[in-house]
Amino acid sequence: MMFPFIREALSNLFSKPSTEAFPAAPVQAKPRYRGRISYDPEKCINCGMCKKVCSPGAITTEIEEVEGGQKITYHFDLTSCTFCGTCEDFCDEKAIKLTDDYLMVAEDKKDLIVSGSKIKPVVKGKLACNTDSCIFCGLCAKNCPEGAITVDRATKSWTVDHEKCIQCGKCISKCPKKVLAFEEPAPQGVIFGGEGCVYCGICAKKCPEEAITVDRATKSWSIDRDKCIQCGKCVSSCPKKVLSMGPIE
Amino acid sequence: MLKNAIAKSMSRSPWIYHVNTGSCNGCDIELVAVLTPRYDAERFGFKLSGTPRHADIVVISGPVTTQSKDRLVRTLAQVPEPKVVVTLGSCPQSGNVFKGSYSVEAPVEKFVHVDVAIAGCTPKPEAVIAGLYKAAEILQKKREAMTK
Repeated sequence: MMFPFIREALSNLFSKPSTEAFPAAPVQAKPRYRGRISYDPEKCINCGMCKKVCSPGAITTEIEEVEGGQKITYHFDLTSCTFCGTCEDFCDEKAIKLTDDYLMVAEDKKDLIVSGSKIKPVVKGKLACNTDSCIFCGLCAKNCPEGAITVDRATKSWTVDHEKCIQCGKCISKCPKKVLAFEEPAPQGVIFGGEGCVYCGICAKKCPEEAITVDRATKSWSIDRDKCIQCGKCVSSCPKKVLSMGPIE
Repeated sequence: MLKNAIAKSMSRSPWIYHVNTGSCNGCDIELVAVLTPRYDAERFGFKLSGTPRHADIVVISGPVTTQSKDRLVRTLAQVPEPKVVVTLGSCPQSGNVFKGSYSVEAPVEKFVHVDVAIAGCTPKPEAVIAGLYKAAEILQKKREAMTK
């Protein structure tokens, strides 16, 4: 044949160019492309898992004490991100998503930082487990981002380190038996032992708030819980040691 | 008139010089892909130049290793004004996963003012085109400011 590529040449003459028309024509990224991070602060529970798994340390948080709770701000630095998507995988609440927006071009570096903040109301009470119904599966300990919970199946023990606990509530949502909750500690106060009391009235005298009334004649001892400031002076001054501090009904 | 003709043709011919400062080669490959027929950045006049002395736009990739820091500074000093500095990917902006290493000097902003930052690891070729396009616009503005 004289012109071996004549067919190819002719077909190319009438076909459209192979060059993509970008930026004149917009280009859609392929499915599952990992681009600009989108962050939904309303869904976030501030467990901090994304921050822990981020290999370049692109995620930073700011916690500010405001009225009615804590203002939690997350910054995702796209100039530091490797777009591995691990934060998205580890986010149980699906607050982080890597979108298909690939046009991350900026003159100012601040445009490449994705931020979001929300006010988290103060959680009342400390984490507690109703160990009667607990099956000691350890799911709470496994899902705790701070490693605050220890579960021992052999000895059937459940303990939490309140110092480490950030009250994210992840364990509560993961518990299959629903035995975990934030419980307010029982109110503390002076407990009257009763037996052994000689009704000397030293406790009433020592009380700076005059909350205690002792009547020797009728052998009665009473306390006004509203007045009591739980200073413990009565407990230490009692000669018969019948008073103590503890949870009251 | 001749001056006008030169200015107009210069605006359609921003030459790129690419500095690799210890990049993993991902961003470099994407930059070269941008010059291939599929993306064809040369239709905007972008051309890879072999020497910094001919360049208008400097594209920096990599986290600026200690070894390449002096070379980068020397290279940038050879680029004639007006020049536009573009960073490619996360590394030159922050050091990416290499930040904190004893041999990494990122961010590149310590040595030179960055005009355009293209984020991504690596950036999509379309993002590179958009970034270079923006750089060309900035270059034109700088050139106009210089001639005034």
